[in-house]
Amino acid sequence: MSLPARLRNPWGKPRFLVATTWLYMAWALLPVVVAMLFSFNQGHSRSVWQGFSIRWWWGDPSQSIFHDSLYTHALVHSLSLAALDMVIATPLGVLLALGLARWRGRGSGAANGLMLVPLVTPEIVMAVSLLLVFTQLSLVPFSLVHLGTVAQVVGQVTFSLSYVVVIVRGRLAGIGPEYEEAARDLGATPVAALRLVLLPLLAPAILASMLIVFALSIDDFVVTQYMSSNASTTTIPMFLYANARGGTTTPALNALASILVVTTLFGVGIAYAVYSVLGRRAAPSGVSALRELSGLEAAA
Amino acid sequence: MASGGVELRGLTKRFEDAVAVDGIDATIEPGEFFSLLGPSGCGKTTTLRMIAGFEQPTAGQIVLDGVDVAAVPPHERNVHTVFQSYALFPHLDVFGNIAFGLRRRRVGKDEVRRRVAEAIELVELGGLEHRRPRQLSGGQQQRVALARALVLRPAVLLLDEPLGALDAKIRKQLRLELKALQEEVGITFVFVTHDQEEALSMSDRIAVMNGGRIEQIGTPEAVYEQPATVFVADFLGVSNLMDAEAFGDGVVRIGEFRLRAGCGEVAAHGAVKVVARPERLALLPHGAPRENCVPGMVERTVYVGANLQVITRLATGETVQASIANTGESTTYASGTPVAVHVPVDALRVLAPSTGGAATPPGEVTAEPERAPAVAS
Repeated sequence: MSLPARLRNPWGKPRFLVATTWLYMAWALLPVVVAMLFSFNQGHSRSVWQGFSIRWWWGDPSQSIFHDSLYTHALVHSLSLAALDMVIATPLGVLLALGLARWRGRGSGAANGLMLVPLVTPEIVMAVSLLLVFTQLSLVPFSLVHLGTVAQVVGQVTFSLSYVVVIVRGRLAGIGPEYEEAARDLGATPVAALRLVLLPLLAPAILASMLIVFALSIDDFVVTQYMSSNASTTTIPMFLYANARGGTTTPALNALASILVVTTLFGVGIAYAVYSVLGRRAAPSGVSALRELSGLEAAA
Repeated sequence: MASGGVELRGLTKRFEDAVAVDGIDATIEPGEFFSLLGPSGCGKTTTLRMIAGFEQPTAGQIVLDGVDVAAVPPHERNVHTVFQSYALFPHLDVFGNIAFGLRRRRVGKDEVRRRVAEAIELVELGGLEHRRPRQLSGGQQQRVALARALVLRPAVLLLDEPLGALDAKIRKQLRLELKALQEEVGITFVFVTHDQEEALSMSDRIAVMNGGRIEQIGTPEAVYEQPATVFVADFLGVSNLMDAEAFGDGVVRIGEFRLRAGCGEVAAHGAVKVVARPERLALLPHGAPRENCVPGMVERTVYVGANLQVITRLATGETVQASIANTGESTTYASGTPVAVHVPVDALRVLAPSTGGAATPPGEVTAEPERAPAVAS
């Protein structure tokens, strides 16, 4: 009513919203960028800039992340957990998604809904529950899982499986049953139809799932921490948590954190690119990657 | 080419709470172009999917060349399908799509190449072997789908509304091509459509379906000219359906007018429906002394190019549509003109309502005693 004409103009640029958006992005990203920047600090300080150097990445013969065994060990352990999680959770999740997509009738609706429960369960609850069953229950198969790498992989697979299922199931719904029926019609056995038609069509979703699982695993702290046994099963996030407030740390810690940020971004970025490019090529109806991946976000 | 005969015996499909196909019986001759025609939800696609093997019949038999294949999985049936959406494999090129079935049968490499080339020639797609489906037009995709199925030399080719996704002009052209192709290859075609024009123009015989049952099977002429039921008369073309009273001697009374009906259930008594096709009606000047005339008044005239659709309200209160050839004198049927609608004796057809399944909901019909044995067998 009494607003200035500039603000009332419905065709005008939404200046206020644009400004708010940029302000938020600066607020959220600046600390991360600063932390990453300090990994290139010349001196020992993680708060006072003393000039550029790559000593904490490589140069320092004993304290760089690639020379200090504590750092390299956390790095290697994180990557091997991520790799294991990826190769176990992805195929399992694809199978579960196929099963859920096929299964019609009583119980299928409930199962589809329950699949989302791990996504919304507070991670600490899941971690504590897993810890309890692995340490207190003397029942096979729980008693076979010992704290350490095995428990860490089992725990990570447990929660990352749901992500795979949600991504692949979304893609399956977009593909529809007719390609498989066409393959069966042309003489393919059920297994051949899966191998020759369904899996190639699911490839973008499977690749995207693998990379998402990788990113989830690299990032995970709570479950991985609870499932760990001793120093040999320390991951990057655990190492960061344990040392960030300590006084003896160097910018190598920032370098480690930077690796975490970059690998995660890289994983998610490639997942998105693969999904949109391959997905566009294979999808008959042009199902957009954004829509399905954002469906995942909404579910999470 | 004696193979490709299909016999459906008491074929039934019940989904959780609905009966999709309700004990149908039909014999499809080898080499025939057979259409399943009906509105959506009439069970035609479910019937096709049962013949293909995608749905398992609840009861009944599908006899393909003398063998009941109801329990044979789809990949072992010598029956192939052209899907409504074509379902071409997007990750394979035209060659890969057409070769898919041959490779599943472990046909030798050279043989695959030769037969795919033949099939591509048959559907006139030369030069497009290495295109992906999304690089093809709708019409071309449809041809690939046809070639992909025909290359396997099926006993029966099933087509699920294969022209439905195309625009009107291509559709009409492909209709002729499809019919010519069928005559060339001599394979039995079972064609599902809701488009009566498609069914009439291509089929050797048509099964008109409604509520999971077959209302009538016959040649296009038979189902159009001699509809057995009210549903068939109503579904195929525009029909002027009117309530009438029959006296058993070929005379029916519509309102206060007595007319002679020359075909259909002329011996029926009591309440019946009568039907006359618009193109068989003639409009005469008001008061013309002829038999089988009902007076009326032109309500409006719709110009459709080759002919005029004159909608006339009869003195009985019913509205009929007459299709008059366009001779350039459209003004004679201005709205409000009193006319006499002449219904030739051989154009007025009596339909006994008892033969009409459309009059009763499908749910009640299942209880009919004569159907029960067919379902159980």
